Amino acid sequence: MKKILPIAFLGAAALIFPVSVKTIFLDTPIENQMGTVQKIFYFHVPLAWIMMLLAVVCGVAAGIQLRRDSKRAEAVSIAAAELVLVTGLGVLITGPIWGHATWGKAWTWDARQVSTGLLWLIFAAYVLVRHYGAAGSERLAAALAIFGAIDVPVIYYAVKIWKTTHPSNDVAGSLPASMWAALWPALIALLLTSIAVLLIRVQQELTDVTLDEAWVDLDDAGANKLEPTPAPTSGSGDA
Amino acid sequence: MAAPAQNSPSDEYEPVKNLDQQTIACVRACESEAAAKTASDYEHIVWAYGVIWSLFAIYGVMLWRRGSRQAIEVADLQRRLSS
Repeated sequence: MKKILPIAFLGAAALIFPVSVKTIFLDTPIENQMGTVQKIFYFHVPLAWIMMLLAVVCGVAAGIQLRRDSKRAEAVSIAAAELVLVTGLGVLITGPIWGHATWGKAWTWDARQVSTGLLWLIFAAYVLVRHYGAAGSERLAAALAIFGAIDVPVIYYAVKIWKTTHPSNDVAGSLPASMWAALWPALIALLLTSIAVLLIRVQQELTDVTLDEAWVDLDDAGANKLEPTPAPTSGSGDA
Repeated sequence: MAAPAQNSPSDEYEPVKNLDQQTIACVRACESEAAAKTASDYEHIVWAYGVIWSLFAIYGVMLWRRGSRQAIEVADLQRRLSS
């Protein structure tokens, strides 16, 4: 089951992906103001939603890890953080490509861009601390993940709180049906791929923990074998 | 008989004012070039799409390499346990 589920998700994503490409490039109408470049929306926005979802998952898992010392929660937290880096990089590259074509400038330092960049840096710090940190640094990393998750509402409300060049949050809600028809397959394909990769990474992290414990047990058993057996005590009193 | 429909001002023909023929032709050429570019600018989309799936592919390769390393380690552990 542990292996079948990610494969099933990846298989479903592979089936939906061509449908998504066909819908975006051939069926969806060209947007009036921005032209064809607006089609970046159909994968930039779902990827941003998935990035924010994974950041929250990572923060919650890190909280459980801190409270209950759960290895499974720790594995979920590590896997989700790595995927935040992957999806976040996708968002931070596709956004400026779109901005370059429509605003004439790739990076405008608007609040949503900056808060998304900040989220990416926090999770990069998390992954680095997990990778290179000394013993006990997993608690510091978990605190970083919780801090990163708090940035998610900041990203969402950035366009409401500050004056930004980004479109408002209401854009998705006001889309015509023909554009939603292109957004759904892209969202589902990317979400299924992300979940499959997350499950694979969680499983790998749990395997790493099991392997580490097995090596320690093996070393302990070897050390016990090598230790000289204590001499039997005789009641004669040799001194 | 029904009365003729009242045309709104936007529906009426308006002559171009204060522009010579050369400027009008130039403006129309610019507009049609911009419209053609807007309707056929697939370069940005291809780049954006390529970036996303390349990132997933690179991460997938990293996971596959990690999985292979773990499989070697498990085999090593099993060998040690059986010896």
